[in-house]
Amino acid sequence: MTGAPEQRNVKLTSSEGTEFKVERDVAEKSVLLKNMLEDVGESDMAIPLPNVTGPILQKVIEYCIHHRDDPVPAHDDDTKKTDDIDDWDAEFCKVDQGTLYELILASNYLDIKPLLDLTCKTVANMIKGKSPEEIRKTFNIANDFTPEEEEQVRRENEWCEGR
Amino acid sequence: MEANPPLPAPNDLAATWAFLENGIDQIMNRLEEGLSYKRYMDLYTGIYNYCTSSRMNPGFASEPLAGPGSNLNNNRGANLMGSDLYQNLQRYLERHLFTIRENSTQYMDENLLRYYTKHWDKYTTASSYVHHVFRYLNRHWVKREIDEGRKTVYDVYTLTLVSWRDHMFMHVERHVMTAVLKLIERQRNGETVETGLVKSVVDSFVSLGLDDADSTKSTLEVYRDHFERPFVEASEVYYKAESEKFVSENSVTDYMKKAETRLAEEENRVKMYLHASTHKPLITTCETVLVKNHTDIMWDEFQNLLNMDKLDDLHRMYSLLSRIPEGLDPLRTRFEEHVRKAGLNAIEKIADQGGDTMEPKTYVDALLEVHRKYNDMVSTAFRGEAGFVASLDKFVNRNNVCKSSTSKSPELLARFCDSLLRKSAKNPEEGDLEDVLNNIMTVFKYVEDKDVFQKFYSKMLAKRLVNGTSASEDAESSMISKLKEACGFEYTSKLQRMFTDMGLSKDLNDQFKDRFSVEAGEPQVDFSVLVLGTASWPLQPSTTNFIIPEEVERTFQRFKMFYQNKHSGRKLNWLFHLSKGELKTNYLKATKTGYTFQVSTYQMGILLQYNKDTSYAFEELSQSTDLSPDVLSGQLGILVKAKVLLLSNGSSVGEPSSRYDLNMDFKSKKVRIQLNVPVKSEQKVEVEETHKTVEEDRKLLMQAAIVRIMKTRKTMKHVTLVQEVISQLSNRFKPRVPDIKKCIDVLLEKEYIERVDGQKDMFSYVA
Repeated sequence: MTGAPEQRNVKLTSSEGTEFKVERDVAEKSVLLKNMLEDVGESDMAIPLPNVTGPILQKVIEYCIHHRDDPVPAHDDDTKKTDDIDDWDAEFCKVDQGTLYELILASNYLDIKPLLDLTCKTVANMIKGKSPEEIRKTFNIANDFTPEEEEQVRRENEWCEGR
Repeated sequence: MEANPPLPAPNDLAATWAFLENGIDQIMNRLEEGLSYKRYMDLYTGIYNYCTSSRMNPGFASEPLAGPGSNLNNNRGANLMGSDLYQNLQRYLERHLFTIRENSTQYMDENLLRYYTKHWDKYTTASSYVHHVFRYLNRHWVKREIDEGRKTVYDVYTLTLVSWRDHMFMHVERHVMTAVLKLIERQRNGETVETGLVKSVVDSFVSLGLDDADSTKSTLEVYRDHFERPFVEASEVYYKAESEKFVSENSVTDYMKKAETRLAEEENRVKMYLHASTHKPLITTCETVLVKNHTDIMWDEFQNLLNMDKLDDLHRMYSLLSRIPEGLDPLRTRFEEHVRKAGLNAIEKIADQGGDTMEPKTYVDALLEVHRKYNDMVSTAFRGEAGFVASLDKFVNRNNVCKSSTSKSPELLARFCDSLLRKSAKNPEEGDLEDVLNNIMTVFKYVEDKDVFQKFYSKMLAKRLVNGTSASEDAESSMISKLKEACGFEYTSKLQRMFTDMGLSKDLNDQFKDRFSVEAGEPQVDFSVLVLGTASWPLQPSTTNFIIPEEVERTFQRFKMFYQNKHSGRKLNWLFHLSKGELKTNYLKATKTGYTFQVSTYQMGILLQYNKDTSYAFEELSQSTDLSPDVLSGQLGILVKAKVLLLSNGSSVGEPSSRYDLNMDFKSKKVRIQLNVPVKSEQKVEVEETHKTVEEDRKLLMQAAIVRIMKTRKTMKHVTLVQEVISQLSNRFKPRVPDIKKCIDVLLEKEYIERVDGQKDMFSYVA
């Protein structure tokens, strides 16, 4: 019997078939992979991830390596603050919108809560403090309200303005 | 190789479920064949794809669970896909469990347990896989449903447990429990059985205790209702029958062994394979059946065991009876009675031998012997329990030697101390002495009248110090510190003060000698004096006058002057009856060097008269010494008996006109002759006087206590006042209620306290 279990590499395959080798503790940042490795056990087989593309998986792995030693977040630590993003994470999120959305989907699929929180907060920060017109511009949304409709929405949401 | 069908289209429920069911079935039934990463990921992904399909396909947006309240869903934001998968899984589990249940009917007893536990293990292991595979559903759809307050939706693992409970457990638990109880009964009968089976059943029943209000919490309800209750009932029936049969066929001591073993077995059973919460109900039931139902025969056996000193059996009985409430009460009463009798018998034996003059050592040793024996018994057999320890004091205070009062015990104890601490040939070695003193303290703790002990002890200590007969200063102070430890500083403060006075007197004598050896050229009388504080020393002034012989008069006066100069205003009382001296003879032909007489000061006063003449009449001596006739005749008696003086006229010492001649032919083998021996009649008077002063002191102590209490409480009921006085004084002596009443009357009379008008038995303090 050895004290610390030997770190084995885990092979991950992206949707287009690119193989990534990561250490087990990095892979286990994903609760999905953690549960599966515990249930099925280790093997030399690659783990196929049919819903994640190679470039996105590359980013996710980069995140997981950087955060490999983070403590497991407490169960109900649902802080809704958006201003607690550290420099590395902020830099990590400086990507085009398409990539950011794909990261959200991937972290949701792989069940990596800290990454999901980070990417969602980043999107939230893109909305914060902006007028509807600016938001439309940011996300490339066409205004499909009539002026009457827009007035009604504004009245209904008066309570959250001006503070 | 397992089949790897392609992933179904995300929005096709039928295809998705068919795909999933295939996988779940493999996990549930053929997990031992293994599961590939790909298969696992495909199942997860299939669920993920289905649950996320709504956003891509608005047609599926609203998909509430059927049933009342479902229209509430219209008000919430995004709709989540998943209820179809959940319901399909639920139906699958029901079908799966139905098969398992059907197959169970062919088994009985141990085989049924084997079947049940095997499938339970397999099912729960598989369920944990399924739970993980369905994690996406758990995280989103299930979480939302639970957050919305839906009671019938659980996370997938809980769903599997609920399903087992409803579709498996409820149908088979009766048969399973019958098998479990049979198995345990066989083990109780001495067979070796597979206890792991029971443990698995217990684990299963415990896991099934799901809190309906909050599925994340578990309760023990299922286990308690379906396992614990029938099990405890069966245990009761079993042990009731067994113990009754055993008692009728075996001795009580054998039965106690049996009961002890059985109780230990049951404790162990809980540890081995039951849930810890069963400990209390099971053991309580066993205690009732095995101990409480048989207390009468054990109580009856107790006296026999005591008589035969059966420590093991006594201990066993104690342990058994201590398990049930009030089980030990009759034992305490009987033990107390037994110890008292044993103590009284021991004392009676020595009282018969000793007659009136009881040797203190014999008495204390007898007490200690009994104490040691039963103290050992209490600590080994009764775990040193206070209720039993209390039994030890009864015979110390009231026994055959102290028939009339409790104060004889402390007196004898104090005398024993004196005999140990006084210089004598029989003084024990230092190490032994410490042991003996500790033993004395053991007895002392039980003595009620500690004030009597204090009186006698200080009297005898005073004598040892004045006469210089204390054997060792270390031993004296060791004893005093023991007393201080037991009774507090106040109890020994006077005793300690006495030692201080001794030290001061030594310094005083040295100063006096330094001063006058220089001044006076004339031959000195070797002289030393002890100046002792009246308050601390239990010494009485003498009743007789005394004229100091002129030979020592000068020294006497000189010291008086010396002391008055040093401490003006202090009054010196001379206690000649406690003083002593040495006289050297030069009138005897029998010896060249002369004899040395060790004498009391009174004897010195008498003998020094014979420097002038060799014969005096009683009246002449009485006049020249000024001693009272009875003291004089007592002292003369000793001198005549020692043949220093010869009675020449009259038939007995002290008669009027009797004459006393100096014996010129006095002879002795010794060079030093001790003439300073106590007069017999004096001793008896002293003892009585000591007891009398104790009585006086007690009255004052009680009055002081009453005043103290009333001063703080202002008003108080008679009964509570009496109780308070008793509790305050109990470490000194045990006040008698009539005595307290008398003291209250005295204080009423002196107007320290008064009766409260209109209230019966109520007193108030008069400021």
